[in-house]
Amino acid sequence: MTSIVKSIVGSFESLPIDPFLLAILAILVPGIIIFLIMAVNALIAVYFERKISAFMQDRLGPMEVGIFGFKGGKKFWGGIGQTFADAIKLLSKEDIIPNDADRFLMMMAPFIIFTGAFLTFIGLPMSDSLVISNFNIGIFYIIAMSSVGVIGIILAGWSSNNKWSLYGAMRAAAQMISYEIPIALSLILVVLVSGHLDIHGIVQWQADNRWFILHSPFAALGFVIYFVSVVAETNRTPFDIPEAESELVAGWMTEYSGFRWALFFLSEYANMLIVAFVASIVFLGGWLSPFQMIDLPYIDILPESWLILDGVVFGIFWMFVKAIILIFCMMWFRWTFPRLRVDQLMYVCWKIFIPFALANVILISIWELIRMWIF
Amino acid sequence: MSEYFIEIVNGVKTFLTGMKMTLKHYNNKEELVATLQYPHEKWPIPERNIGFENSEYNLIRSRLHVDIDDCIGCLQCEKVCPVDCITIDTIKPPKGTDVDFGMTSLDTQKKMLVTRFSIDMSECMYCNLCAYPCPEECIYMVGGPNEHKHEIDYEFSQYKRDGLIYEFADPTDAQFAEVGGEAYVESRQSQKQKLVDGENLEGIVEEEKKVVVIEESQESTKKDDDSGLSLKIFNNVDDKPARGVAKKSFQAAKRGAMDYIAMADYINSAIIAAGKSSPEMAAAIELIKNYKDEVVAPSQSEPSPDISTNVILEADDLGATLFDVKSLNGIEDKMSRGIAKKAFIAAKREVLDDNGKIDAIKLALNEAEKMTSEIEVLLSSFVAITINPVESTPGVSLIPDVSLFDIKLLNDIDDKMARGSAKKVYMAGKRGNKLTIEVLADIRNELTGSGMMDDDIDNLIKGIG
Repeated sequence: MTSIVKSIVGSFESLPIDPFLLAILAILVPGIIIFLIMAVNALIAVYFERKISAFMQDRLGPMEVGIFGFKGGKKFWGGIGQTFADAIKLLSKEDIIPNDADRFLMMMAPFIIFTGAFLTFIGLPMSDSLVISNFNIGIFYIIAMSSVGVIGIILAGWSSNNKWSLYGAMRAAAQMISYEIPIALSLILVVLVSGHLDIHGIVQWQADNRWFILHSPFAALGFVIYFVSVVAETNRTPFDIPEAESELVAGWMTEYSGFRWALFFLSEYANMLIVAFVASIVFLGGWLSPFQMIDLPYIDILPESWLILDGVVFGIFWMFVKAIILIFCMMWFRWTFPRLRVDQLMYVCWKIFIPFALANVILISIWELIRMWIF
Repeated sequence: MSEYFIEIVNGVKTFLTGMKMTLKHYNNKEELVATLQYPHEKWPIPERNIGFENSEYNLIRSRLHVDIDDCIGCLQCEKVCPVDCITIDTIKPPKGTDVDFGMTSLDTQKKMLVTRFSIDMSECMYCNLCAYPCPEECIYMVGGPNEHKHEIDYEFSQYKRDGLIYEFADPTDAQFAEVGGEAYVESRQSQKQKLVDGENLEGIVEEEKKVVVIEESQESTKKDDDSGLSLKIFNNVDDKPARGVAKKSFQAAKRGAMDYIAMADYINSAIIAAGKSSPEMAAAIELIKNYKDEVVAPSQSEPSPDISTNVILEADDLGATLFDVKSLNGIEDKMSRGIAKKAFIAAKREVLDDNGKIDAIKLALNEAEKMTSEIEVLLSSFVAITINPVESTPGVSLIPDVSLFDIKLLNDIDDKMARGSAKKVYMAGKRGNKLTIEVLADIRNELTGSGMMDDDIDNLIKGIG
């Protein structure tokens, strides 16, 4: 199994290039790729979010800003340049740090949160063998890295020296740590069944058998628990109590402005993309084509590749299709449900998700034992 | 325990219900969208209905409009307006003239020209009282029952308050002329001009100043013309720099009130110093000399103290006004011109006299190593402006000492510092009309004093001597 770093190093090894330069190249290229993915994702996702929310509320959303005079169609593409304009506005804003704030920590916090999202991408494949660095404990690494952000959130809340920020940070920490348990418990299902912590191993198991969500009712329930929990993990409505506008102004982001706030925003939407990718890798077959599982009667007539649409390039396509559908669902949640109270949030996590996820782990093990005993 | 599961089931059910509902709205057609894209789309203004059958009363209190072609200038609306927001001016043609203003749409003969019909909508209180007395029905609220006359003004919002004053009458100048309103046109135009002038009041002051300056310079050129010689004689010379040098020195000599032979010599020396001599130039200089033979200025042959003091005064005035930054435009090299101008302005700020300015410029140029003989000549020509007249009274020759050696010879000094100070001494000597030997001695003293003297320079000075 190759990775981007390995292939960069491997392809230039024969050339007389200074190994130090080669190392820099191997660090810079994936870094820039990740940053571009995050930035473009934020640009597109913010626009989609605004449009989807508008349509769900019978509005039109941004309709005035175009790109280079191109304003798009009447409805969906009407304000296609809006997020670009917003990004320029954000970058040109003043970087305000309150007098009584802990300057160093306050300046650091956005970068820690951003780093958490950034590092997660390293172990996250976009397609077959298209991964920046291939771990044999990939899924474990992703779970670990996605919780780095909590430190940044607590730092941001504490250093702002603002009660709203501190409340928000504390709520965020409580919420994110709580919801990591059901997430980990539902990801353990696939590890139990496939016997792999390695992401490529998990997808390979799904290619050999079937998508994990179709493996058993317990796996499907695991998917539901995972997906609802990651919505909470990314602090999105209906679980957005850390930044509840009506109570806490903007939670731990209250005192931030300009570029640092943009970093929060960037990592928030990057986290959405990450959890959608993980969900599609673990439960929805990753970069596998959905047509692979369906036994089509006319598959023999047409060239196989037409319908299967497999391979590295189509892998990227399928990954993004699945991720975008999941992200749409997250937006759909956001504009459907009202915010939970803090006690309701904890109730859902500790009294419903964790017992069900634990039971799930036990039941799926029994299911596997029975299967082995029967066949 | 069962409550727990019922709650979960209920939760999932309501979850799905909510999702279904938002998805339904998401798929809504555009007609169901509540947003109105305001500047592009506008809600229709609702019809006003106060319950009467009479549609006249159901008018919308919108903007007043006047069909000015129908207006006969009866001033009824102006009189009736309770807030005086209507202003009307009319002009009646003088008796005997036969002007046809045409008919209104209600077949009334118009008898006068409405020159102004303005309604200030910021004062209007929308009482509609002006509409009733109008005999021609030409003033009305737009929209509503009057929709067929003038469509409704959706929002007559303006960026400035002045925009709310609506002018309906706009007669042309021809129309004014027809009714004998030329005086009115004139006054209107002068008023407009006053407005324009008022906007750039500073500009007017500047212009006045300029006019004064032009008059002065015209006078001075007149004076120059009286003497009979002009710069035109150099126009045959093709070489531009040479022409410039010649013209500068010509003017300097003229201001110094030289006689024509002296002038010719002065110009000749300047040309030689700049190394720009040519047959055309020689011819021009010859012309100047000949000129003297034909017309002898009598005042010059009989110098009297009164005249000479006059000359001094005049020359001083001229020098004060004429040695300015523009005089430095004769320097061709852009770099050195810039340096010279900078130095000039700095000196001006320190309120130095012209000599001080020239010294400052020379110093600056020397420091930048941009000093050339052309610039020297140019600058020294300005020195002549102020100094020479003073010296002319005792009768000392104004001609720069032709026997003084060429400054270029000093270029052989290798040390920049030494060269600079040597040149300074040279220029001072030149200004003081010293002889070569004196200047050389001065240079020697200066350099020895500052410890820059060495064998090479010593040899050089000896060689010149």
